[in-house]
Amino acid sequence: MKKLLLSLIYIGGFFLLLEWLWPLGILTNTQNAGVFYLYAAFCFFLAFMQVRWYIAVPLKLLGLIFVLDGLFIPERIFSSGWWSILYEQLMFNAEAVWAQEWWDFTAFFRSLLFLVLLWLVSYLLHYWLVIARKALFFIILTFIYITVIDTFTPYEAQGAIIRTFILAAFVLGLLQLEKEVSDDRKEIKWKTAILALVPLVCAVLLAVAAGAALPKFSPQWPDPVPYLENVTGGAGTGGGEGGVQKVGYGENDSRLGGAFVQDDTLVFQAIVEDRQYWRAESKDQYTGKGWEDTLEEPVTGRDPGDIGYSLFEEGVETDPSQGFIDFTEEADFGKLLYPYGMTAIGNLENPLEIELHTQTGEMETRSGGDAVQPASYSFDYGAPAFDLRQLREASGEDPVSVREKYLQLPSSVTERTKELASDVVSEYGNRYDKAKAVESYFSSNGFEYSTTDVEVPEGDEDYVDQFVFETKKGYCDNYSTSMVVMLRAEGIPARWVKGFTGGEIKETDAELFGENLNAYDITSANAHSWVEVYFPDVGWVPFEPTQGFTNNADFTSGTDTDSGEPERSEESPEVEAPDQQQEGNPQQIGEEEGAEGSAENGRGEGFLRNLLWWIVPAVILVLPAVMYVTRLRWLSWYHGRRLAKNETPDSFQAAYRHLLVVLDKKVQKRGEGETLRTYAKAIDHRFETVDMQHLTTQYERLVYRKEQRLQRAGLSELWENLIKKALS
Amino acid sequence: MSQSSFMLNSKIAEVIKNINKVIVGKEDAVILSMVALLAKGHVLLEDVPGVGKTMLVRTLAKSMNCEFRRIQFTPDLLPSDVTGVSIYNPKTTEFEFRPGPILGNIVLADEINRTSPKTQSSLLEGMEEANITVDGRTVPLKHPFFVMATQNPIEYEGTYPLPEAQLDRFLLKLKMGYPSYQEEMEMLARTSGTHPIDSLDPVMTLEELAQAQESVREVYVDRTIEQYIVSLTSATREHPDVYLGVSPRGSMALMKAAKAYAYIYDRDYTVPDDVQYVARFVLPHRLILTSEANFEGKTADDIIEELIEATRVPVQRNVSE
Repeated sequence: MKKLLLSLIYIGGFFLLLEWLWPLGILTNTQNAGVFYLYAAFCFFLAFMQVRWYIAVPLKLLGLIFVLDGLFIPERIFSSGWWSILYEQLMFNAEAVWAQEWWDFTAFFRSLLFLVLLWLVSYLLHYWLVIARKALFFIILTFIYITVIDTFTPYEAQGAIIRTFILAAFVLGLLQLEKEVSDDRKEIKWKTAILALVPLVCAVLLAVAAGAALPKFSPQWPDPVPYLENVTGGAGTGGGEGGVQKVGYGENDSRLGGAFVQDDTLVFQAIVEDRQYWRAESKDQYTGKGWEDTLEEPVTGRDPGDIGYSLFEEGVETDPSQGFIDFTEEADFGKLLYPYGMTAIGNLENPLEIELHTQTGEMETRSGGDAVQPASYSFDYGAPAFDLRQLREASGEDPVSVREKYLQLPSSVTERTKELASDVVSEYGNRYDKAKAVESYFSSNGFEYSTTDVEVPEGDEDYVDQFVFETKKGYCDNYSTSMVVMLRAEGIPARWVKGFTGGEIKETDAELFGENLNAYDITSANAHSWVEVYFPDVGWVPFEPTQGFTNNADFTSGTDTDSGEPERSEESPEVEAPDQQQEGNPQQIGEEEGAEGSAENGRGEGFLRNLLWWIVPAVILVLPAVMYVTRLRWLSWYHGRRLAKNETPDSFQAAYRHLLVVLDKKVQKRGEGETLRTYAKAIDHRFETVDMQHLTTQYERLVYRKEQRLQRAGLSELWENLIKKALS
Repeated sequence: MSQSSFMLNSKIAEVIKNINKVIVGKEDAVILSMVALLAKGHVLLEDVPGVGKTMLVRTLAKSMNCEFRRIQFTPDLLPSDVTGVSIYNPKTTEFEFRPGPILGNIVLADEINRTSPKTQSSLLEGMEEANITVDGRTVPLKHPFFVMATQNPIEYEGTYPLPEAQLDRFLLKLKMGYPSYQEEMEMLARTSGTHPIDSLDPVMTLEELAQAQESVREVYVDRTIEQYIVSLTSATREHPDVYLGVSPRGSMALMKAAKAYAYIYDRDYTVPDDVQYVARFVLPHRLILTSEANFEGKTADDIIEELIEATRVPVQRNVSE
């Protein structure tokens, strides 16, 4: 029975450890994470069965070798080739260790280290749970780990925290039961065990149910991550499902919102004449929380040399040019990125099949059915210059296919959104001016560009409604989605487009195909979203509602020059990083952002200030907790030092009383009516010494005889002996 | 409750060793008799006949070279049989005082509950006042004066149980109890020839005893211990099963006994252990339980034991001192 209890506790411990391992499988590129789970389970099993070490160690080693063999060494196990690979691996990494070049470790060696770590952890947990019978520290660490992981990575720990809570409650409850049983030194009966377990199970279930049912405060403190993000500034289209996201190009846009982490990882380099928006795909269905797309059967077998697909009609004037794109390993979305007006692709290093989704403009690259990201390619494109007059006068009917898809609105879109849309466009008669009005609506009216303080709509709240009426703070996703929804509410077909902005210029005279072009670096932070509006006879025209960004597409004025609009539009499209833009638009920027955007120093200070907000309470909270948890040890150290330095009645009395506390907590409780003498005897009996009785006699003389000096020396030695025994 | 790990006072140890030549086992009873003697108190022994009550007192008396007197209480005993009487002496034509048995050093009052309350009180008065009044004359009692009264708990027929108010004149109330199998075997072996008491030599003089009593008076009782004593006795007054708790006289008795006990263990200061040990013999006979508690079969001993366990032992001096 006792054995069963311990095994339950131990299994609970294993699941707690798994909570540590899950995120690794998800967050890192750890392949075959399952193997590591299995190995951890194996180590746990051996530790639990209390297999003798001379059996357990070889077994674990063998397991370790099998795992490594399966993962990394193609040769037959224990063949000569196998040994030589092993030898090479070990030698190479040993050199790396020697040279302290940790980054040179091979995957083989990292896995080896990780396996050894699992081995040690299984041993440690066995010691904690089965020998020392303490789990609280491990559980607290687990909670801290999960919350940190949840805060700083895209890992969603909501389930994990609940699982951990349940596991922790059970493990602690069982440990308590086990402790009480072992204190009484009697064998526990099934009946009593069940009687003890039923309340435990009920209490845990009740706690979980209550936790689930109770209303929850929204976070009382701002998310710490946005402050990190603030330092570098930036925008992007986040993936992930709400909460904190890592900036970058993501596939899943079904739940937009939330702040994100800045990420300046280079995704690709482009050599083109001037900055281009890099389009990846568009989405058509707004859900009230984000975007979904209805993907149709892709068109395959297109000749890369002639894509034969354009977002706009042939009548639009274009400026033919060439470009080259070179991806880093960071890019793994399995799609082509292309500028507006791309006509052909060349220099694909390996024959890739292009699957074109004509609805979304998504060009997936596949090889043998698997999505593969091409390393680089060149392309021909003709940057469009839309004729404003044509846009203003476009009056034809929208095709049925466009109307069907791109006027969709979910029921979550609120009346006030629709009313606002009709207010904004009411003055204008044509589609272009209406779109322009909506686009520029966001550049004032109290909207603020922010990546830090961005809410995620909860419950049946609408993403657009929240942004437009409640928060007025957001980044590209908020702006572009809101524009699409408002246009659709006005019966104008529009869609939401994802891709990258033009990036930062790196070289001004990169040579390509004999021409001097510019080279641009595009990082994850350049991920972006914008809007395309459909114009009959023209096609899909890009718009840019996001504050701090300017439209990438050219608009030519044609004969209509009285509008001030074209002047700005004629200029070569400038896409700048948002923080640079914000410098130019100080009136739109909140105090905080302004302070951060103005200069590096200011930004750093702001960041430090914000960081302080987190560190100070954390220290205030954690330090006392740590002091409290470890108080017996540091107090013991303190009293020991004081007594050893100077054996006075005062130092001795303080030390003795501390010893009583330690003994009471760690060794044996002292009853209310138990005298020091009887207690000292019990302690000495337990430790097989007479030290406690000696100390007690001395203490009694001080307290009950009111003596002013110590009778004997060497008390600190006796005291040290006892405190060591008590704390071990 | 053996405290053998702590050193006994050397003189007391000698007396106890002497007593143990005659009395087998009964260490508690021996020690506690010494406590009462040293604290100038008296002992009430409640036990069945034949367990060695008389032998204990006689041995004690002989070890200290005291004058031992015995009064067998019977229903027809008169107060003058206890205190003594003045008889007309025709030669001197004067009334001459013939001292009664109470004028000994160590007096065994056997089966004290079998005599009339009038006779009982003649003894009890002497115990309290340290002198007696006979025919208008005040006669001081001997010094040291130590009464060990016995009570047979079995035969209640025709007895006069001591009233509660009288009971707390006794410092301690003891039970001897039956000896263990081994002890009884040993007893038989010892008494098969001449009785060992006949060859017992005194080991302590009366002066030494008086000195020891003086030393006991001087044993230091710290305020913390005083607080502990008062906490214990006042707790008896608040206990729900107790009809009448321990009086302040009980607190004083407890302190006296604790001092004597500390002295026996060769300490000139008291510790809570002393109080705890003697409280088991000093306090129970000073309690009157409620009839409900009696009905439930609770005894005063249980309640004192319970209170000792629950009352916090002082382990440090108050900061204010």
